[in-house]
Amino acid sequence: ISNLYFIMFIYFFSPFRSVSTFAVQNGLHSSAKSGGTSTSVVPVREKSTAVAAAKPAAIASSKGEYVVTKLDDLINWARRSSLWPMTFGLACCAVEMMHMAAPRYDMDRFGVVFRASPRQSDVMIVAGTLTNKMAPALRKSKQLLLPCASSCANGGGYYHYSYAVVRGCDRIVPVDIYVPGCPPTAEALLYGTLQLQRKIKREKKIRIWYRS
Amino acid sequence: MAEYANLLRRAWGQIRGHGGVRGLLLQFFRVNDLKTGALVGVDKYGNKYYEDKKNCFFGRHRWVIYTKEMNGKNTTWEVDGSMVPAEWHRWLHSMTDDPPTTHPPEPKKFFAEVHQFNVSGTPQQYVPYPTTRKKIHEWVPPKAGAQ
Ligand code: SF4
Repeated sequence: ISNLYFIMFIYFFSPFRSVSTFAVQNGLHSSAKSGGTSTSVVPVREKSTAVAAAKPAAIASSKGEYVVTKLDDLINWARRSSLWPMTFGLACCAVEMMHMAAPRYDMDRFGVVFRASPRQSDVMIVAGTLTNKMAPALRKSKQLLLPCASSCANGGGYYHYSYAVVRGCDRIVPVDIYVPGCPPTAEALLYGTLQLQRKIKREKKIRIWYRS
Repeated sequence: MAEYANLLRRAWGQIRGHGGVRGLLLQFFRVNDLKTGALVGVDKYGNKYYEDKKNCFFGRHRWVIYTKEMNGKNTTWEVDGSMVPAEWHRWLHSMTDDPPTTHPPEPKKFFAEVHQFNVSGTPQQYVPYPTTRKKIHEWVPPKAGAQ
């Protein structure tokens, strides 16, 4: 079944891939802006990183829109039920990533299967310290993937002040999910994967394409 | 023959255990899994906790069927692991064998009255902000006529 999905990926998603993360991020920022009421946080951000206000996500207004919405749902379902992460274990956190794959936490039941090559995978779990030496390699695989970072990779962590370490892999690639912890438990990482699935569920690539 | 009879019996058990074919399908699409077990307890939000030690191996023998509405949000299709409140978390993750129905937790002042689930990706989400002075200021375009 996974292979079937994968073929579907090739057909449907590769043209949209580069768009996807940014679309989601725009949505996030605009919702954060509109929802900011009491916390003084949001105005600060609004000034510095203002994003053009998105059109209100209306309910399907026509038949075509309805079909497109359902297509979106189908694609999101197919994508999120076979997330193939790459084994990008860089340091101690990788051990927890292995625990996630082992029978107790068993990520395979969510359709998450490790692939050893960035050509075959669509998620990258950056588990561990990203050093300056590794950074070019991480950046090279950027076009393909939808990375998902953890731990030291979030902000340098333990090695923030080291001259050899990139202070957070979001300086190199766009990141969707941050899992905190040193190391994050396998449970936390699994929860992070589920959050990524939730995030994919909210994507509306075809709808955006259809409306624009 | 015997295995077919067994299969039928199990299918019948599943259908009855989930309250008919409709309940079975609903369950299947919500949690992608069909299991029947003993109801251990229901928390105040309506999450139901089940256990089946006989047919499931360790790690899959306790599970939760999430409530359909929690803290004013419709969670029929938007279930999330953080909907399990703290007192049930221990039992559900096999840290202990005592469910809070028989061993209620000691009241502590840091326990939340109403359990909040994860709000990432919603308007209530936490947005990090700097507390230091800004180092880079954006360009403010000069107004026409205001010299
Ligand atoms: S966060 Fe901690 S456990 Fe993970 S790679 Fe860094 S030092 Fe190692």
